[in-house]
Amino acid sequence: MHLSEDDRGGAAATGLAAPAAVGARPPGDATYAPIRDYAAIGDGRTVALVALDGSIDWLCLPDLDSPSAFAALLDPARGGSFALAPEVPFSAERRYLPDTNVLETTFTTTGGAVRVTDAMLLPGPGLASGRELLRRVEGLAGEVPMRWSVEPRFGYGAWRTRITRRVGVPVATGRSDALAIRSWDAGDPELRSGSVEGRFRALEGGEALLALGAAHGEPLVLPARRELEARLDGTIDFWRGWAAERRYEGPWREAVVRSALALKLLIYAPSGAIAAAATTSLPEAPGGERNWDYRYCWVRDSAFTLDALLRLGCPGEGASFFWWLLHASQLTHPRLRVLYRLNGGPRAPERRISLAGYERSSPVRVGNEAATQLQLDVYGHLMTTASIYCEAGGGLDHDTARRLAGTADLVSRIWRQPDSGIWEVRAEPRHYTESKMMCWVALDRAAALAERGRIPAGGTERWRREAEAIRRFIEERCWSEELGSYARSAGSGHLDASLLLGVLMGYDGPGGRLEETTQRVAQALGDGSLLHRYRADDGLAGGEGAFLACSFWLVDALARQGRVEEAASRFEDLIALADDVGLYAEEIEPRTRGFLGNFPQGLVHLGLVNAAASLEDARR
Amino acid sequence: MTIWGALAGGFVGTLVLTTGLRAATELRLTRTDLPFLLGTAFTADRTRARALGYGLHFLAGLGFAALYYVVFRAIGESSWWLGALFGLVHGVFAGTALVNILLPLVHPRMGSTMSAAQSRPLLEPPGFLMLNYGVSTPAVTIVVHLLYGAVVGAFTAASG
Repeated sequence: MHLSEDDRGGAAATGLAAPAAVGARPPGDATYAPIRDYAAIGDGRTVALVALDGSIDWLCLPDLDSPSAFAALLDPARGGSFALAPEVPFSAERRYLPDTNVLETTFTTTGGAVRVTDAMLLPGPGLASGRELLRRVEGLAGEVPMRWSVEPRFGYGAWRTRITRRVGVPVATGRSDALAIRSWDAGDPELRSGSVEGRFRALEGGEALLALGAAHGEPLVLPARRELEARLDGTIDFWRGWAAERRYEGPWREAVVRSALALKLLIYAPSGAIAAAATTSLPEAPGGERNWDYRYCWVRDSAFTLDALLRLGCPGEGASFFWWLLHASQLTHPRLRVLYRLNGGPRAPERRISLAGYERSSPVRVGNEAATQLQLDVYGHLMTTASIYCEAGGGLDHDTARRLAGTADLVSRIWRQPDSGIWEVRAEPRHYTESKMMCWVALDRAAALAERGRIPAGGTERWRREAEAIRRFIEERCWSEELGSYARSAGSGHLDASLLLGVLMGYDGPGGRLEETTQRVAQALGDGSLLHRYRADDGLAGGEGAFLACSFWLVDALARQGRVEEAASRFEDLIALADDVGLYAEEIEPRTRGFLGNFPQGLVHLGLVNAAASLEDARR
Repeated sequence: MTIWGALAGGFVGTLVLTTGLRAATELRLTRTDLPFLLGTAFTADRTRARALGYGLHFLAGLGFAALYYVVFRAIGESSWWLGALFGLVHGVFAGTALVNILLPLVHPRMGSTMSAAQSRPLLEPPGFLMLNYGVSTPAVTIVVHLLYGAVVGAFTAASG
């Protein structure tokens, strides 16, 4: 596909900041790119992160939650990467091709300019590898000396990687994984110890191609160049078609569609589950221990997810996600796990791996111990998800309806227990206010579903009675006259941004208390338009940045409470904090605006979509 | 040994297999639901899918019983333990190839390892040995297929 001139605007033309990088990190150099420098490409199975200097520093194969083949993001020396950049000093700017998840980076040197197009290819014409990553290099002006280096390190750098030639093609293998490294007009590939490297001169009008074909437990496929190019065209067409179907016509369409595309990257197509983020262990504080694996699907995010998918006009993805959630939670019914694997498995045992960690933030964790915590709020999110699904016209079969009623019965029995709360605090369980609010939401939604005949009504009276008891508990023990707000937990003197979920999820507090809480949370936890989760102790050393999802929740809450102009102003501020291609990590350092935490983070993009939709609803 | 004996065994064996699977599901040992998987190949309505799936599952049970009968005839012998041996092979085949690989390829609503961003499957793929549906699933699958095979073998042997 050849792009029109209109397609070729730079990042600045998108209204987003356009940073420039100078020079590339030498392969194996123990320096880290800022998290803000990464862009994500993916195919619905896995996600690669591409740095502004052209290095692909994160790629798990075959799936997003599989062990990594490239993990320089977490350990430049041992993790492996796929570098591609000019050999001479350069500046770089980039953008996504409009309405796609295909990345375009333009490198400019004193001698000329080249454009690199990066994509994870979608299945299309011809026999394809299990996963395909394509890098197309086009000479734009003059002559640019280019260098590339592929250093695969399978199994988070722990498996032995062998590099050989098969029918003349460099192939890297590790256990049951294999990578074919193909190149056309990109110099002669040289096999080094642990890497395949090449050099070539990109001339104006010339085009080179580099492709990785990955196989897992199957033979490698070695496709022809024209087939790869045809699949690149098909991939661009698919993303554009998909983005064009998204339903949002407000003033922030570009940011909303970019968030939709980012969320689509996190949807694991084989099952319909959505990962919280594409990475593990990017730190919430540089050098700290707050490093978690987010490559799982959190039940806590389910209502936001289905709501956002339906508001974006993605009923197919919404139904797929809801079916997956019902299926995944069946094994543990009536109890819910906090999170499930993308394939629906309930176990996510946590272990530490030997990578150094981003900016030496250790440990690097794989798996997530939070899976076994008691978090009462998940029941409210599940029941809200079912309610949203039914309101959108979805049907519940007898078994599902019976299970949802069983879940409501369980909530009636267990809501009095202390829990670990939405933030998965690894300290003594408490009576978190947000957890109690979500228990109230669970029983309220269950009773409403029963009254509409969607689930068995036998327990309705008990659910109503227990919901009222929860409300009394919240109003008597979780409201703080001293704070003028609901408190973080019963008897606590602290605030917590999760209290905003009372507004977003429709907790029915007595007049004015939620509005007062919104105001107090914004004052006490705010830093400009940014919001911290809390300022209280959470049992871990060190601090953290502002939490971007909560910042968007505040916008959403203000819009729902009729403070539309304030909400819109905050929303504008937050949009300006995205990286140059419109993506967000979990947190941001308010002073430096550096990203912290896993990336790209689904909950932030869900928050952005839902806040934009609420603003539009409020303006109507 | 008669084909009618084998088919009767297939019917009863499928009853036993289906009941065993359902019991395992209620005991939270597995999320496997073969009638549901079969039925959703034809409809996205979960209730209709189950009803249709049970019919298809019984037809499949009779079909496999007929295949068992062909092999019994070929080797000139049938018994409950020989049937159980076939059931073991059948169960392993179901977990490694039939439901793991072949079903996702033909099932219009099931994801597969090759599903990409263009796909919006309504059913997660079962995975190797159907492990995606729970860690106990391989054991459950083998046990219910052993029972199925034993019943088919016993009925075939008893049919003279």
